[in-house]
Amino acid sequence: MIEMTRTERLFDAFATLADTLVAGYDVLDLLQSLVDYCHDLLDIDSAGILLANADGELEVVASTNEANTLVEIMQLDADAGPCLESFRTRAVVSVPDIDIRSDRWPDFTDVAAAQGIHSVYAIPLRLRQTTIGTLNLMREQRGELNRYDIRAAQALADVATIGILQERTIRDASTIRDQLQQALSSRIIIEQAKGVVAETGKLSMDVAFDRIRSHARAQQIPLSELARQLVAGEIRL
Amino acid sequence: MAVSFQAASDALCGSGGRIDELAHPFVRFLPVSGASISTFGSLLGAETVSATDARAGRVDELQFDLGEGPCWDALITRAPVLEPDFASTSSWPAFAEGLRGEKVAAIFAFPLTFGPLDIGAVDLYSTTPMSLSPLQRQQTLALSAIVSRILLRHAIGGEETGQTTTYSRRLVHQATGMALAQLGTSAEDAYLIIQARAFADNRPMRDVAEDIIERRIRFGPLTEAEGDQL
Repeated sequence: MIEMTRTERLFDAFATLADTLVAGYDVLDLLQSLVDYCHDLLDIDSAGILLANADGELEVVASTNEANTLVEIMQLDADAGPCLESFRTRAVVSVPDIDIRSDRWPDFTDVAAAQGIHSVYAIPLRLRQTTIGTLNLMREQRGELNRYDIRAAQALADVATIGILQERTIRDASTIRDQLQQALSSRIIIEQAKGVVAETGKLSMDVAFDRIRSHARAQQIPLSELARQLVAGEIRL
Repeated sequence: MAVSFQAASDALCGSGGRIDELAHPFVRFLPVSGASISTFGSLLGAETVSATDARAGRVDELQFDLGEGPCWDALITRAPVLEPDFASTSSWPAFAEGLRGEKVAAIFAFPLTFGPLDIGAVDLYSTTPMSLSPLQRQQTLALSAIVSRILLRHAIGGEETGQTTTYSRRLVHQATGMALAQLGTSAEDAYLIIQARAFADNRPMRDVAEDIIERRIRFGPLTEAEGDQL
């Protein structure tokens, strides 16, 4: 395969996201693609998306690495961290060096720093008055994210958000809240499926998730459907 | 008055958490005179939960008082104890002595277990000598498995399981997946087993889930009767 330039890969990412939106999609799969593109294209080490649940709490719905340590960091971030601040203020929150503001979010910064994460960038998933969650970008390196990456991340987040929010006005009677709640609910069965694959394959949770995700992609079935089949014992990976 | 196994099973499933009626479906589908259900063992306190008549209650009570009898043997061996002719048995001298004068001619005890958990036993008695067919034994085991689940849910119900954060819920779901693969069961049953284990050890579910994920706790497969779905 010919090595693509970053511009070409970015173009490819937008084209693929747009395709998904045109052809109909599963919200969870769309969000998973979004974090994966961020990871591939931007100068970051990990990315995650958190959506607000019915109680207004932010929950991790997709992340580039399903190791429990990263998920826990993002969840702490959602309880008291830049991610929550970005969601509340509906604005980008950039933390070029988390140690400088460590008194502000002590739990989050302690755990993040212990895992080698030193800068964070949180982007609200927002369309006009509606904010559905945040996109979180994390880096081991200290310092601001470069201008190019900021633009690209914002644009990727916007495309996904617009897609999700537009879809309902175009063709779906269910409320956007129901749809997002469903994406969060399907996390339950995906976590169970990770457990099944981790157990049967003697794998760690993140490797189990990678295996599930690759299979879902190769077979072109939604993650949640594959997870259901795994939990029901209909298939084995 | 005899009803089918299916009707008995439906009656149990529809009991809606009323555990004092759990013994009745057994006498409706089996040709026995009375039934009682008790909890004992390491998990739950010793108690007669349900009895169809006073004599059935007495059969249970006597075994608790004496610390011997078919229900103890059933739970210890995790297998049915069948005594079609109680008069000729020498297995439990004190128990037999205690029941002298009671019209108990045959007695059967079925263990109540769920996965690794000991829950109690079902005692069945008949005023005339009789035996259970292989099919009746199998069906009684299946009903016992349903009763085990109901008693477990009842015991755990209302307990604060400590899984309050979204992150700890995630761990519990992962552990549920691992447990269901180990047990060969549904996600609901695997979750119940984890919940029961947390209850038994008096620990938050999250801690038990972490032990499962880190492979410090694992569960063996359920028996065929236990694995039957509700």
